[in-house]
Amino acid sequence: MLEIRDLVCAYGQVAALKGISLQVGAGQLVALVGANGAGKSTTLRAISGLVKPRSGSILFEGRDVTGADPRRMLGLGIAHCPEGRRVFPHMSVAENLAMGAYLRHDAAGVRQDYARVYADFPRLAERRAQAAGTLSGGEQQMLAIGRALMSRPKLVLFDEPSLGLAPNIVEQVLSIIRAIRDGGATVLLVEQNAYAALELCDHAYLLEAGRIVMSGPGAELIADPHVRAAYLGGEVETAHRIRA
Amino acid sequence: MTQALQHLLNTLVLGGTYALLGIGLTLIFGIMNVVNFTHGALYTFGAYAAYLACAALGLDFFLALPVAILAGLALGALIELVLLRPLRGSDMDTTMLVMIGAGIILQSGTLWIFGGVAKAIPTPFPDAPLQIGPVSLSWLRVFVFAAALALIAVTYGLINGTRLGRAMRASFQDADTAALMGVNVGFIYTATFAIGSALAAAAGALLGPVYVVFPQMGDLAAVKAFAIVILGGLGSISGATIGGFILALAEEFGAGYVSSGYRDAMGFLIIIAVLLVKPTGLFARAERIG
Ligand SMILES: Nc1ncnc2c1ncn2[C@@H]1O[C@H](COP(=O)(O)OP(=O)(O)OP(=O)(O)O)[C@@H](O)[C@H]1O
Ligand SMILES: [Mg+2]
Repeated sequence: MLEIRDLVCAYGQVAALKGISLQVGAGQLVALVGANGAGKSTTLRAISGLVKPRSGSILFEGRDVTGADPRRMLGLGIAHCPEGRRVFPHMSVAENLAMGAYLRHDAAGVRQDYARVYADFPRLAERRAQAAGTLSGGEQQMLAIGRALMSRPKLVLFDEPSLGLAPNIVEQVLSIIRAIRDGGATVLLVEQNAYAALELCDHAYLLEAGRIVMSGPGAELIADPHVRAAYLGGEVETAHRIRA
Repeated sequence: MTQALQHLLNTLVLGGTYALLGIGLTLIFGIMNVVNFTHGALYTFGAYAAYLACAALGLDFFLALPVAILAGLALGALIELVLLRPLRGSDMDTTMLVMIGAGIILQSGTLWIFGGVAKAIPTPFPDAPLQIGPVSLSWLRVFVFAAALALIAVTYGLINGTRLGRAMRASFQDADTAALMGVNVGFIYTATFAIGSALAAAAGALLGPVYVVFPQMGDLAAVKAFAIVILGGLGSISGATIGGFILALAEEFGAGYVSSGYRDAMGFLIIIAVLLVKPTGLFARAERIG
């Protein structure tokens, strides 16, 4: 569904991506993990068109969409749920959702999707007239997810959706993302919470300093000694202990 | 008592057009982060557009306002596309200098084309004013007040109740994320500058017939617009609305009870006082459009 070939991105003189290639198959949940500054957000920003690549190509459903602007990418069916939630703080919950459906003109379908988001996130329904900036972090993340879904995307890019959330909310967010995949959408998930992402995904890529250094099924990366040492630390043991 | 009532009535009339001026300026600053030094020139432009519509084209007086608004929209869009769009991303000082230059060109152009002699815009209103108890108001001023209120209401409706307005507010709060929602942020900037310009032109077209039309009329209007915006808090539309009426109040009562010579000093006094006491503006919600 999505294919990236030799993608190079830079901010001024700073190279953020030094030629990465990756693939996301239709209906898959693919994780992209890596340390701070590895280039995860830049990858997503390049896909959604916020950052223009220096070279390389991006193919979506077989079409070359390299360098297309965000409006075009959204129109093609790619929604980007950005790092740090980025809800519009002075707009109501309902207006934020309306922004998610900005390009849509099928009023009836949009109404259906409001109803679905409110059904999935009852907290948002209760707070629909409230300014998004006054919501809790978890509620804002739900809103950011709901907003991304309002465009009825084929592919959703999630950038660190668990950032700064309490552990029980993290669980909830991750299960929502799994449900989105199960509902038929394709997901590319960037996570600092490497263990959870690797456990959840169908396939994973490990990004280090602008290069993909490893890829494979999540379980394979979890089992890899380098990944365990550098990214999972005590997490695997802790996670098993919590589960036990 | 009667005198105070009369001043209050005048305040309402003047405040409406001042609010239009201020809203236009604050909208452009709030959404585009551009200090619009052509605002005064656009005010003058609106007055001349109304004058041309009436005197040269022979249009009905009531058509002069829509003509001026459309002309303001067009000139605003042109300025944005030709001057501001290529400068996007450059620093604020560069943009400011370019806008100051553009303002000078517009003003000199007006002087060159129309000469320095003031023009009057003829109005179809009866000479006898409207009597409301002990106070009176010319019919022209009644019209100016009603039109200004209508335009303020339209602007509020546009910003708060339409898809375009929502996209404008979203772009202001977070331009990148607005782009991710499919908003064409470049178009939003053009639309914002055009709308802000049209409001300045409307204010000029409304006050043109009340006073007279001359090339430098925008200088003082620009100072007043800045006073209103500083008073109301940069980027706050409701602040600019209230600020417009406060400035009008200060001018009316300053002129009425201190000395008429101080009328136009009120704007400067307000700027100084606000910057000294509460630099974020009296209604500071500087991070908010609405
Ligand atoms: N707007 C920018 N201007 C300049 N450099 C940037 C910019 N954004 C990111 N970078 C640099 O590009 C590199 C990759 O950044 P990116 O945000 O993609 O990393 P990340 O993997 O998402 O990190 P994090 O986990 O901290 O979100 C970093 O070295 C960063 O400093
Ligand atoms: Mg990031």
